Amino acid sequence: MHLLTILAAGENPILPAANELIFGTIAFVIVIVGLFKFAFPSLGAMLAERTAKIQGEMEKAETTRLEADKVLAEYRQNLAGARDESNRIIEEARRTADQLRKDLQAKAEQEAQSTVARAQEEIRAERDRVFQELRTQVGEIAVELAGRVVGSSLDKGTHERLIDEYIDEVASGGNGKG
Amino acid sequence: MLAALSGRAGFPAPGIDILKTPCLWGTNGALCVNRVVIYMLLAAIVTVCLFVLAFRRPSLVPRGLQNVMEAIVEFVRNGIAIEVIGPEGLAFVPLLSAIFVFVLVGNLFEVIPGIQFPVNSRTAIPVILAVLVWFVFNIVGVKKQGGLGYIKSVLFPPGVPWPIYILVTPIEFVSTFVLRPFTLFVRLSANMIAGHLILTIFFVGTGYLLGRALTIPFAVPSFALAVGLTGFEILVSVLQAYIFTILTAVYIGGAIHVEH
Repeated sequence: MHLLTILAAGENPILPAANELIFGTIAFVIVIVGLFKFAFPSLGAMLAERTAKIQGEMEKAETTRLEADKVLAEYRQNLAGARDESNRIIEEARRTADQLRKDLQAKAEQEAQSTVARAQEEIRAERDRVFQELRTQVGEIAVELAGRVVGSSLDKGTHERLIDEYIDEVASGGNGKG
Repeated sequence: MLAALSGRAGFPAPGIDILKTPCLWGTNGALCVNRVVIYMLLAAIVTVCLFVLAFRRPSLVPRGLQNVMEAIVEFVRNGIAIEVIGPEGLAFVPLLSAIFVFVLVGNLFEVIPGIQFPVNSRTAIPVILAVLVWFVFNIVGVKKQGGLGYIKSVLFPPGVPWPIYILVTPIEFVSTFVLRPFTLFVRLSANMIAGHLILTIFFVGTGYLLGRALTIPFAVPSFALAVGLTGFEILVSVLQAYIFTILTAVYIGGAIHVEH
């Protein structure tokens, strides 16, 4: 009690007065209770929420980025696939065209050959025909000529023998192949 | 003495008795309500209001008062708790913030028009806070290192050759367990007493000098100095609140970490 009265008198500025100690304690308790009861819980909750929100946003951004990366990779893969596909189609078209060209060429060649062969055949047939005709005519001319020269007709057997001999002679002399 | 001075028409320089205020309500004694008591309670209410208005319904994107108070809490958190104590300091951010703002508000009452009385120039609140800090850092130390371990780490700091302990141990004992609370509260109170005295002297002096035609020219520099010192006292108020808080953190950090 004696100490309290000395303190309450507040003689020394370093010694706290009793009433001020009591009310100062009350003031500090008000501060502590007020802050820890009404301010810090909501502050803590808000800070936690903010942290969570920022973290959530960052995670979302990360997810979006990963997704975008995936889509890009897919797109690139598709693009590469499309390029391969187009290359393949071009290659196939080239091969088909090549084949077609070769076929046509072969066919044309074959046709040309067959045309030539037919023409040769025709030529040979014509030649044979002409040759046969010529042979007949020459024979007749020769007989007529001989008849005129000899003045008499040769009998048919001699006649034909002479013609053949002549023609063979002409053939072997005028045409090496016969 | 005052009467004698004024009888001789000299300047009645204000002394530390300006810190004593008469009881407004109640009798002289433990329940005397004077100006100081009212300002103490007002400082507490202002502190609580600042925090509660800022953080009662906090928004994720801070605005206005919430922004200011968040900046203060952020400063205490990063600039004091984490900087001085480390990651364990996060647990002490609420306490350190409360101490910082309460001391700051009490100090700034010195320059608030109509109040102009630093609550912490009276030693009551600094003493209460210093005693609280003493208990906090000792309890933290005992919890972290165990009773014996804590006392051993304080009294016998490692890395000292053993004969030196004859010198070091008593010094460490006195400085840690006895002097710390004293220096903590005296530093704060003495600064605020000095600031309040200086401001009072220059403002009262200005009034005194205005009282006679001859001395009126000297009232101007006296007033200018008083205004300038008011700005300086704002700086001192913030600085002392910061020092009080950071020393609290240093003491807690020292109790947590064995080697400091």
